[in-house]
Amino acid sequence: MTFLIQQTLLYAVPLMIVALAGVFAERSGIINLALEGIMIFGAFIGVYFVHAMQAYDVFTSAARSGDWLTLQGLELMAMLASAIMGAVFSLLLSFASINLRADQTIGGTALNLLAPALVLFLIRVLVNQNTLMMSTGDAASWFMLKKSTFGIDKSTDLGFLGETFLNKVYLATYICILIFVVLSVILYKTRFGLRLRSCGENPQAADSLGINVYKMRYAGTTISGALAGMGGFVYALTTANCTANGDVAGFGFLALAVMIFGNWKPLNIAGASLLFGLFKCIAAAYSSIDINGDGVYLLAELGISSHLYRMLPYLVTLAVLAFTSKKSRAPKAEGIPYDKGSR
Amino acid sequence: MKKILALLLALVMVLSLAACGSSDTTSTTAAAGETEAAAQSADDIADEMTSSDGKYQIAFVTDVGSLKDKSFNQGTYDGVKLYAAAAGKSYKYYQPANGNEATDDDRYNAMKLAADNGAEVIVCAGFLQATALQKAAEEFTDVKFVFIDGWAMGLPNVAGICFQEEQCGYLAGYAAVMDGYTKLGFSGGGGGTNAACNRYGYGFVQGADAAAKELGVQVEMNYSWLYGSSFSASNELQTMAAGWYQNGTEVIFACGGSMFQSISAAASAEDGKVIGVDVDQSFESPAVITSAMKGIGEAAQQALVAAESEDTWTAFIGDANTTVTLGAADGAVGLPTATWSLEGWTVEDYEAMLAQIADGTLTVDNADVAEPASTDNVTVNIIK
Repeated sequence: MTFLIQQTLLYAVPLMIVALAGVFAERSGIINLALEGIMIFGAFIGVYFVHAMQAYDVFTSAARSGDWLTLQGLELMAMLASAIMGAVFSLLLSFASINLRADQTIGGTALNLLAPALVLFLIRVLVNQNTLMMSTGDAASWFMLKKSTFGIDKSTDLGFLGETFLNKVYLATYICILIFVVLSVILYKTRFGLRLRSCGENPQAADSLGINVYKMRYAGTTISGALAGMGGFVYALTTANCTANGDVAGFGFLALAVMIFGNWKPLNIAGASLLFGLFKCIAAAYSSIDINGDGVYLLAELGISSHLYRMLPYLVTLAVLAFTSKKSRAPKAEGIPYDKGSR
Repeated sequence: MKKILALLLALVMVLSLAACGSSDTTSTTAAAGETEAAAQSADDIADEMTSSDGKYQIAFVTDVGSLKDKSFNQGTYDGVKLYAAAAGKSYKYYQPANGNEATDDDRYNAMKLAADNGAEVIVCAGFLQATALQKAAEEFTDVKFVFIDGWAMGLPNVAGICFQEEQCGYLAGYAAVMDGYTKLGFSGGGGGTNAACNRYGYGFVQGADAAAKELGVQVEMNYSWLYGSSFSASNELQTMAAGWYQNGTEVIFACGGSMFQSISAAASAEDGKVIGVDVDQSFESPAVITSAMKGIGEAAQQALVAAESEDTWTAFIGDANTTVTLGAADGAVGLPTATWSLEGWTVEDYEAMLAQIADGTLTVDNADVAEPASTDNVTVNIIK
């Protein structure tokens, strides 16, 4: 059970934060199809940041002596770096779709095409490989929080909650959840959030009340870019052993699906990404999941083809979308470039 | 529902704050520092060189996966570099286009480019290159081809070299069980179609069985080809390996290039152990207990030395239909003794067994089996 919850969180958290990135853009009226591209770019920036920082003695000696605070600091700085560069990358989309009033779907697709190519090119130039990896060690031994990290003996039982949420986890996961909660509150409970949402529903009305629609839309897409860039790095750190290769296994597109599936609302999105993460985890590790801890691997013993398990996340998404899409309601003005003149 | 979710999120938040709180510890992670001292000399030679006349005499065409996979491609290329540096020749590597989805045309184009760049010898790594290599070898008859993990093609300019991977697989399996591990795992590349990986795996099972018989223990082995078709790291592979470790698997034989990255990441997260493949991978992770090595670099060097003149070349490849098979007898397979960390089995005993394999008193079945059957002492649990 502990294993199932931990692995589910690893898959769900990047999805959740990137889906929230989608919400911020779309609620301000810009369709951000470029989530995948920004994730790829963010993952690259974060991994490269770690790779470059490993050259400094302060971090290698911290890894050797188990000074985990320094290492967590490095992790946070890498998250910040990928968020900043993700935001910068998303400015391309904002500029094209807000100032130039270009078609947002096409702009987003262009970024999706650009990002993997650019990242692969940069990796080739920088390290002459196809995959950018950490220069020494692996993600788990550098950044994972374990019992031994806090000086607790391996055999100590922390109880179910302790074992699940304190042992073998990444700080990044919790930071993302925290950011998710804070930003959701901002979106719904602050003046800024209300104004942002109004620009996605009826920008003309918002403008008539003195809200600068362009500014709001820039804010929406920039927050979106920062979140997606950070989500990309968190994905690379927690599930891909801190490597970047111009690919995030379609998580950006999945996040779009999760966003629609979650009806553009943060709580629904959290639920949807947990559901998806759960099935993704079952797909990869069904043969070693012991649900109630009695030593019986139910899913493996059912004798169902493994291909079915691997299809499950997508089948479930299809099924749930089919049932929920009737109620789903996109922001009214999304995808329409704002033109002051038209009323 | 909303309330429950909100509660959950809040709880997680509080716990994360608690996690940040306690800072009064100075625990130690495994000493990664010791391994840094022993640098490999091939690493000191640049991967890319610029020749004065724009021609590159020795060419290397990579298999799928990246050049720096710290395993098969890199090991072979290290041999190429060492030879070229010693002989003062120019060298260059070529990666077929389209990465892991490279087609025969992509590989042929890489070889043609190498030949056009003035290559005298082209070293090709991996059996996937067979079709392209045959086409290129028939076209460029004055260029010599070295086919690592391959076979003879009836062409006088192709040296097919294969290894007796079952022997080092056997040694690795034997070593793991002798060291006290009874729950093993095997995660192989190539989806069960790669003859080299199949031999590794089958040898691993036989070795584990032999040691288990000797110690009178029962061994369980998870055996899988999942997520290995492109020999690359993936999050699914990492999750699967983490699941294995979580359920008691103690050591996993990561048999396939960059797949090692995923397995070793899972191992350091779950405090498991890993057996490396092709080259000594103990430099990469403290979780590595030993590596099933084959002398890919040495084989490349031998072939390149032989390629210097027609006589030695003919002597090396024999008749064009014979595959050069290198095994324990040629000193081409084994476990790394310099970085030995096993406690249940000594280097002397290992060398005695290696000698037995070399002189033929101990034979390891080299059948190309993708799904080995369970034996008396080893329960093979095939995961698919």
